[in-house]
Amino acid sequence: MVQKEEQVSPFLVFFLIHAIQVGVGILGFQRIVIKSGGNDSWIAVIAAAIIVSAVIFILYTLLNRHQMDIIQIQKKLFGKYIGSLFGLIWIMNWILLTVTVLSSFVEIVEVWVFSTINIYVFAFIFILLTYYCLTGGFRVVAGICVLGTIIPMYLYLTFLFPLEHTHLRNLLPIWNHSIKEMGLATRDMSLSYLGFSSLLMYYPYIKNAKSSQKWAHFGNILTCLIYLFLMVITIGYFSEKQLSHHIWATLSLWKIVELPFVERFEYIGITSWVLMILPNICLLVWAAAEGIGKVVNIKQKKVLLIILLIVYILTIFMSGRERIDMMNNVSAKLGLFLLFVYIPVLSAYSFVWNKLKEKKK
Amino acid sequence: MFRTRKKDKTSAENKKAAETIQTVFNDLSASDDFKQSFVTNRHVTFCIGFYETLTEADILHKDILHNVQKAVSIEELTALLPFEDLKISEDVTLIQDALLQGSVCIHNSISNKQFCLVKAKSAKERQVAPPEVEFSVVGPKESFVESYQTNIHLIRKRLPISNLVVKERTVGRLSKTKVGVLYIEGIANKENYNTVLQRIEDLNIDQIADSSYLTQLIQDNQHSPFPQFIDTERPDRIAAVLGEGKVAIIVDGAPHALIGPTTIFEFFSAFEDYYLNWLVASFFRLVRFFAVLFSILVTPLYVAVLTYHYELIPKDMVSTLVTSRTAIPLPPILEALILELAIELLREAGARLPTKVGQTIGIVGGIVIGTASVEAGLTSNVLLIIVALAALASFTTPVYQMGNTIRLIRFPFLLMSHYIGLIGVAISFCFLLIHLLRLSSLGRPFLEPLFPLRVFDLKDALIRLPFKYQSKRPIQAQTEDTVKFNQSEAKHKNE
Repeated sequence: MVQKEEQVSPFLVFFLIHAIQVGVGILGFQRIVIKSGGNDSWIAVIAAAIIVSAVIFILYTLLNRHQMDIIQIQKKLFGKYIGSLFGLIWIMNWILLTVTVLSSFVEIVEVWVFSTINIYVFAFIFILLTYYCLTGGFRVVAGICVLGTIIPMYLYLTFLFPLEHTHLRNLLPIWNHSIKEMGLATRDMSLSYLGFSSLLMYYPYIKNAKSSQKWAHFGNILTCLIYLFLMVITIGYFSEKQLSHHIWATLSLWKIVELPFVERFEYIGITSWVLMILPNICLLVWAAAEGIGKVVNIKQKKVLLIILLIVYILTIFMSGRERIDMMNNVSAKLGLFLLFVYIPVLSAYSFVWNKLKEKKK
Repeated sequence: MFRTRKKDKTSAENKKAAETIQTVFNDLSASDDFKQSFVTNRHVTFCIGFYETLTEADILHKDILHNVQKAVSIEELTALLPFEDLKISEDVTLIQDALLQGSVCIHNSISNKQFCLVKAKSAKERQVAPPEVEFSVVGPKESFVESYQTNIHLIRKRLPISNLVVKERTVGRLSKTKVGVLYIEGIANKENYNTVLQRIEDLNIDQIADSSYLTQLIQDNQHSPFPQFIDTERPDRIAAVLGEGKVAIIVDGAPHALIGPTTIFEFFSAFEDYYLNWLVASFFRLVRFFAVLFSILVTPLYVAVLTYHYELIPKDMVSTLVTSRTAIPLPPILEALILELAIELLREAGARLPTKVGQTIGIVGGIVIGTASVEAGLTSNVLLIIVALAALASFTTPVYQMGNTIRLIRFPFLLMSHYIGLIGVAISFCFLLIHLLRLSSLGRPFLEPLFPLRVFDLKDALIRLPFKYQSKRPIQAQTEDTVKFNQSEAKHKNE
């Protein structure tokens, strides 16, 4: 059982969910979605948010039923060994997500801001930062999620600059894509919402966790609104063809920002984005470390060091567009499978299991 | 015959008295300022021992000696002496302690081992003067002095309620410093003052010279450059925060009192903020926060931009920057370090020198060295402006200790900015945020109300809302009684 001092208020789930959904993905999600969704992609943004909300609902029913984290639930349902094995898959998922986020960000920094940056040092400093954050416990992780959401908020204002050159007529005609295309777009879009599976680990760290569900949904809605806002501006600002050349459409939007004291605003944007990436990495690594701590009994600090070392090595190894793309694919598929297929099945299984147990009694 | 016998008796008594006294005063008389004198009146001989350097001669002459000449026994003497807390004791250590606190010890052989202790401490203390560190144009002009009594008097004067409790503890094996923990019973959280008391009791140290010793010894994280107790010299501030349910610590011999638990935002609120209109005060406070950010970030940003990110400079500003830097042989980081060091040298020299010389040094250093280094082509004048402004901005912090911290944490930022540019600045900023998140003051979060997010406490953090909205005590102190006053009644005005 988690001690009371380590627990956080239920409304912080709002930030925990939102902060982890908005990460590197937001800088370049438009291209992939628009490939199949075209000018209707904004519908896919909403559709994906609704699906994610449904998954959050399922997560909460599962967690509320057992009042423990996913590793313990699986151990309870499938026995010690198979349960732990499934737990390792989750942990792998989180580590993969971490590496994806970190290496994508390193790539963005390298391409956009700092072509001569020493990746080894940069990644190392980032890992050091994560270690410092995580040794503070879950409260500090939650804190960095709150600050990482609030402080970079001003960046959204800068997207008002491209609004001047946006043709909202591009949105018309509404719904000129087939259901299949929209389905694909929705699937691609839901990738940008991933990461909230860490809820499965931090659930016991929330006071009155049951009451936090609405906050989780609010967090998801805020993410949806931000994505929607960006998507509408992107559709209006770029033509479809033009967009296919922009891997990071959001960053390209910043190029139009003109301020009297700054010439290339994307530099400031990417620099501030460090504060948005940090919660992602911290929360994911925290979830992985906590998970391993639950599977095997090792000291949290040692686990942390091992995970961070793995993340560091993988991040350095995974530089280059193709490798990052490949890893994006793998982690996306794993994440999608776990959340949208495995979790509903697990939830149904746990429901039946519970019922059977009650009958036995 | 009778006469001689009597004489013998008295001399024998004297001898006896001297012996007993000797056992008590044994250790003390090694010091030359410890005086013993024998006063013989018509009935009996009294032996008086005291530290000449600790006692008030006036009290000794007028009140004590005068009455000693009349008294027959110690009992009678206690009735005669015009002092409220006379002690009679036979405990040797207690007597010695009392003597060292400025008491006068009176003894006569008839009353056996009984020693009468009279407090006659000479009060050599500074007058209560206007605050120097936390000066305010409006508002009370009192500040604490080095006397424990006077300091508590200044606070009690402002809070004449019985709930104001002072818990006294003694710290330091050598210095035996009196430390008072003040709180208002029924408002302050038990956990808060008990934590303070327990930490003070657990201290094992030979001496503490000032309240800043105590800050460093009992704060939550002793390795953090951020102080986790506010030190203030304003009794009005102490009275106000006691009312908010916080705990104050007064240390004997220290002109600064401590406040805890506190938040980072409290360090940037001058107490004058409460004496000004809320709009003005909020504006000043925002200026101060801006100044802090400016002071930390501006030089690193300059170094980062000029080392790596030329593209960031808008075209109208390029010419200004280029002309100021064309002839300079040093890389931006060295240029910045030299100037920052020069400013630190000036500050340090100014702080160590007497006021009048310090001013001269400031002028010589600031103007002459600054202009000369620009003319000599060692630094660019743009950077000179930036560094000077940053230094100025760091001095706006109302709490001196925090100002020092701000000046210190600028240097890691500077080095990181040289190493990995803007990203380095961002990462250093993240380090700072995480550090602040990890800090606590008496176990309460240091970054409150930002985290944990408490919207209600924002009324008095970045800005200060009008008093009528300050009807509740800050959540951070976890007070037992959260309501300061009834808000609806406060809003209502009778015409």
